[in-house]
Amino acid sequence: MRFCATRGAPEFVLVVRFEHVGLRYENGPNVLDDVSFTLEPGSFHFLTGPSGAGKTSLLKLMYLAQRPTKGRIVMFDRDVTAAKRRDLPGLRRRIGVVFQDFRLLNHLTALENVALPLRIAGAKRRQIEAHVSELLAWVGLSGQLEAKPPTLSDGEKQRVAIARAVIGRPRLLLADEPTGNIDLDQGLRVLRLFEELNKIGTTVVIATHDRSLVSTIRLPELRLAEGRLTVHQPARAQPTEGSTRAVPSRGGL
Amino acid sequence: MSLARSELQLHRDPTRRMVGFLIGAMVYLAALAVTGGLMVGTTINRWSDDLRGNLTVQLPGVTAAGAAEATGRIDTVVSTLLETQGVAGARALPRRELLSLLERWLGRGNIPDDLPIPALIDVTLEPGVRIDLDDLQRRLAREVPGARISDNGIVLDRLVRLAHSVQAAALAIVLLVGLAAVAIITFVTRAGLAMHHETIELLHLIGARNNYIARQFVRHVVGVALVGGILGLLAAAGTILGLARVAADIDVFRWPTISLADPQLVALLTLPLVAAVIAMVTARLTVAGALRRLP
Ligand SMILES: Nc1ncnc2c1ncn2[C@@H]1O[C@H](COP(=O)(O)OP(=O)(O)OP(=O)(O)O)[C@@H](O)[C@H]1O
Ligand SMILES: [Mg+2]
Repeated sequence: MRFCATRGAPEFVLVVRFEHVGLRYENGPNVLDDVSFTLEPGSFHFLTGPSGAGKTSLLKLMYLAQRPTKGRIVMFDRDVTAAKRRDLPGLRRRIGVVFQDFRLLNHLTALENVALPLRIAGAKRRQIEAHVSELLAWVGLSGQLEAKPPTLSDGEKQRVAIARAVIGRPRLLLADEPTGNIDLDQGLRVLRLFEELNKIGTTVVIATHDRSLVSTIRLPELRLAEGRLTVHQPARAQPTEGSTRAVPSRGGL
Repeated sequence: MSLARSELQLHRDPTRRMVGFLIGAMVYLAALAVTGGLMVGTTINRWSDDLRGNLTVQLPGVTAAGAAEATGRIDTVVSTLLETQGVAGARALPRRELLSLLERWLGRGNIPDDLPIPALIDVTLEPGVRIDLDDLQRRLAREVPGARISDNGIVLDRLVRLAHSVQAAALAIVLLVGLAAVAIITFVTRAGLAMHHETIELLHLIGARNNYIARQFVRHVVGVALVGGILGLLAAAGTILGLARVAADIDVFRWPTISLADPQLVALLTLPLVAAVIAMVTARLTVAGALRRLP
């Protein structure tokens, strides 16, 4: 699987910027409480924290499925808390999401599920089919192009979900426990795919509470606990190519 | 290897046949109402022409002996008629003419002198003027007790009024059917939105524009409305032709002949299109309303 790098003037200066963001559902307690951080283009982070810490909630804010209760969120240099509704689809198309519960459409085949982002963007049928089957072959599902999700194993579903998230060459990839249902070998393969995307400029955030995954590669960590977010650089940070920095604007312990 | 035509696959929804049937039934009803209204309209025009043309005023019969004395009354009525606005002329039929008319039936010389023969006044009306016949009748009867406008005229006048009410009712039916169509399309679109909410939410989250989602609903309901509407129209055409055959045998009342070639009835062809437009607009608005509730 090869992705072509596109060089030139950067489309945006910052991918994500949270300013004093708070979130609570209905009348529940604050899930997020004054969270501030910045993700620069080409960065790669783990998002960690115990179950229920709010990892999925934080991702939802980023993929515009949830509005914050307070604070300001800037995506691709656009203030999305103040954006017009009709501008949101364009922003969402720059974001690929691997949902924790996959969210595959059971009445569509694996091929059709993965093709969705391209169809929405109005791509031609031929291009879609070639492109999609190539990607599905790469994640090891060339034999299940026409299979529907209910007939797939959890690991296979997860790979379909990952393929759907990356098919549109997103600028920001958000993966919620993308290796939760696959063995370490497959997990590393998925990580390599994400790394390859990251090399050509995609900003990546992987939410996980799988410490073994976190320890396989040295990546900065966004750590969520009790509604607060702190940024941790890897223990023995090596200056690798690209900037993988996250700057805590404020807060943290 | 193939890609589905649309993600929502609304054509598999179980509501499809039911909605197609309902739209068909509505177009059928609307077509009959429109036809009825148009037929009544044609009839009104013919009747009105008759009314405008002329009418007959009848005075109580007199025997040969009283004929001379009756001429005064006849003159009064004629002058009252001539004073009436919209009356172009009034001419009393000479008694002799009446007698000769009767002789055709009763035989020459068979009419006894003591047979009371009514006096008839032929009234010509100015073209394009409508006269309140009930009012005229009252005035004439005041001048000459027993004077009355021939029944035909008054009955026709009332029939015209009835016909207008029938036309209003037909219009009301068409409007009601249109509203019911809006209600049904709203209902079925909401059902579709609920049935496919997971798919719709996902499409929304990965960046589908509202139009992309609405288009699938619109295409679906427009197709169903067109097919249902055309079938309903065909059924209505069958009914109208059947009625036309029955009506062709009836010659009274100058009832108009019904023909599907009538240029007015060509308007019926637009009914399935009207149904499709109603479906399109309603579905689009309903989907837009629902999508506004998503984040
Ligand atoms: N839609 C919702 N309505 C109300 N409360 C919610 C909703 N979604 C999440 N929560 C609550 O918010 C808190 C954080 O949930 P979230 O799913 O973000 O955690 P998480 O870190 O992703 O957990 P996990 O590791 O188990 O996936 C939880 O207490 C959860 O009950
Ligand atoms: Mg979660």
